[in-house]
Amino acid sequence: MKSRTRIPTTPLLMILPSFLLAMSIIGYPILDLAWTSMQEVSRFGKMMGFIGLANFAEVFRDPLFYSSLVRTLIWTVAVVGGTLIISLPIAIMLNDDFYGRGLARVIVMLPWAISLTMTAVLWRWSLNGRAGLINATLMDFHIITEPIEWLATAPLAFTVEILVGILVSIPFTTTIFLGGLSSLPQDSYEAAVVDGAKPWELFRYITLPLMKPFINIAIVLNVIYVFNSLPIIWVMTEGGPANGTDILVTYLYKLAFRFGQLGKASAISLIMFFVLFVFTIAYVLMVMRQEHDSTAEEVKNDA
Amino acid sequence: MTFSIRKAMAASALAVGMAWAGSPAYAKTQVNFTVAEYSSKTGPYFEEVAAAFEKENPDIHINIQVVPWDTLLQRLTTDIAGGQAPDISIIGTRWLVDFASQGIAEPVDSYLTPEFKSTFIDTFMAPSVIDGKTMGLPVAASARAMLVNTELLDKAGAKAPANWDEFYTTAEKLKALPDTFAFGLQGKEIETDAYFYYSLWTHGGDILKADGTSGLDTPEALQAVTLYKKMIDEGLTQPSPTNYTREDVFNLFKQGKVGMVFTFPMLIPQIKAEAPNLKYKVLPFPEGKAKATYGVTDTLMLFSSSQVKKEAWKFIEFAYKDEWRTKFDHGEGFLPVTKNVAAEKYYSSDPDIAGFAAGLPYAKFAPTIANWEEIADTKVRALQQIYLGQAKPDEALKAAAADINKIRSK
Repeated sequence: MKSRTRIPTTPLLMILPSFLLAMSIIGYPILDLAWTSMQEVSRFGKMMGFIGLANFAEVFRDPLFYSSLVRTLIWTVAVVGGTLIISLPIAIMLNDDFYGRGLARVIVMLPWAISLTMTAVLWRWSLNGRAGLINATLMDFHIITEPIEWLATAPLAFTVEILVGILVSIPFTTTIFLGGLSSLPQDSYEAAVVDGAKPWELFRYITLPLMKPFINIAIVLNVIYVFNSLPIIWVMTEGGPANGTDILVTYLYKLAFRFGQLGKASAISLIMFFVLFVFTIAYVLMVMRQEHDSTAEEVKNDA
Repeated sequence: MTFSIRKAMAASALAVGMAWAGSPAYAKTQVNFTVAEYSSKTGPYFEEVAAAFEKENPDIHINIQVVPWDTLLQRLTTDIAGGQAPDISIIGTRWLVDFASQGIAEPVDSYLTPEFKSTFIDTFMAPSVIDGKTMGLPVAASARAMLVNTELLDKAGAKAPANWDEFYTTAEKLKALPDTFAFGLQGKEIETDAYFYYSLWTHGGDILKADGTSGLDTPEALQAVTLYKKMIDEGLTQPSPTNYTREDVFNLFKQGKVGMVFTFPMLIPQIKAEAPNLKYKVLPFPEGKAKATYGVTDTLMLFSSSQVKKEAWKFIEFAYKDEWRTKFDHGEGFLPVTKNVAAEKYYSSDPDIAGFAAGLPYAKFAPTIANWEEIADTKVRALQQIYLGQAKPDEALKAAAADINKIRSK
């Protein structure tokens, strides 16, 4: 064995090309965005000169920014939370062997194959007050007597949008969980059953702890997707009525492509990037510490 | 193995060579034309014009991109920012100031021969003139009017209203009919503000006051919006207008569920196709202190960045020939922008189109001011707050006026 302090250069050199490639693909747009956010940008995207942090100052003076930020947090937590709570039981059910499982899996995955925008358009039509399928069905079943205008007021519209958001996130999350479930060691279950464990205990003390890494990855990926997701809200309400369903990304889209305030929009975009960045780093650190703690505990127990 | 790889390489080399040979011997000049999609007929119509033009001018190729109205401004913004701007485009005249002030639009005065200029109706030419320069040509025009369902009116024993008082009493009578909404009020998305202007103008108000500040904080504006709010509260409109886009309201009218709507001429071809049995009449907006209608034009704009302005202009002149304009205006249900087409019998004898054209002498146009979309959004927000009862009409209007004045730095 050679000196310990010597840095092994060969492996580093070998990953260098792909590292550079990744950095240029990920890094360039962010740098460009950061540069744009500190420029005065004309209506049609021409740089008119450096103005420092004026765009950010304008964003922080804007009351609509704060209400959109709060709503983004509600949206993300509600959609991701709801998705996880629903997807885990679905995945467990689909993991069991039953007649027609293949078909059931296909049906759960199917919505994934349809573009998000198309799904949103479909829901917009279905939720139409007078001509929508939802109201017609509910009235046929005598659940309601008067049609409900689902998208007319912000609180109801936002709730409906969250539900649609959950629905479209289920296939992806279920897939992650199914992958996790099929890799769980069967012998722990068998041992527990021999010891007389009930189904709930199996879930609580075996499935859930072993699934933790998969749940974590599902949380991180879903938070990133949902936080940035434009189509559902944009198609169904365009952030309206009266900006009552605007989240950051719909507000940003309006600023950039309707009002032509590309500088301010870049600033919001950069803020969104940092929020997600901080969240991801913090979450990964938290998970790593947890893992570290539990391994430390195991070592202690062994001793 | 080596042999087959060589063979494959030879074949692909051959293919590349053939592709080269396949391109025309002489270079064709390409003119990129972004077309706003008015209806499903728009794309095929312009392809037809382009094909006819290319037949006469084989050295020019017209490349047509059809873009829906909803995404047009976004598309142009990204195209311009990315240095990929088309040579000509149809745009909303309300955006023209933004394009002109940024140097994106090319003044066309030097291209515009007196004969060509004289083919246009002056009223429609005027909105495209900014600071004395003609920044584009009117390509489509419409005026708005009221549509009433005569069958429902007869059933309710009401007469077609001529002023706002009659409008209100007629609405009350219509409300008594089962499964009928008296007045279709738009409260969502594009042109929610326009639906309010109809009332604003006829009540004697205006979008901007004489000094250039917002006209929303005037008694006329308050009166205009209070009337709508009162009608919502009394159930004289369809419930929850904030869930109804322009199309949703028009659909209710087509289904015969709504007695009165405010609309554009393009609805007529739709009614004829989708609800041929509907009995309706085109009438002027209810009168208040003033007679008014909303005149809307779209502009054909030449980009200053274009390298093929001469060829593009040649195509523009071709596309404004009477035969093409007639086909376009009839197909889309527009009012004519050229004198020759306007002189056609169709525009005075057809009761529907004549009903819309009747408003032209007193038509109001949206002021050509910068940041129009942002200002419109501010108004829509205020209107929605009022319709939903989240804000008092006078407070919401005052706040919106202040915001608009800030945007306009007045």
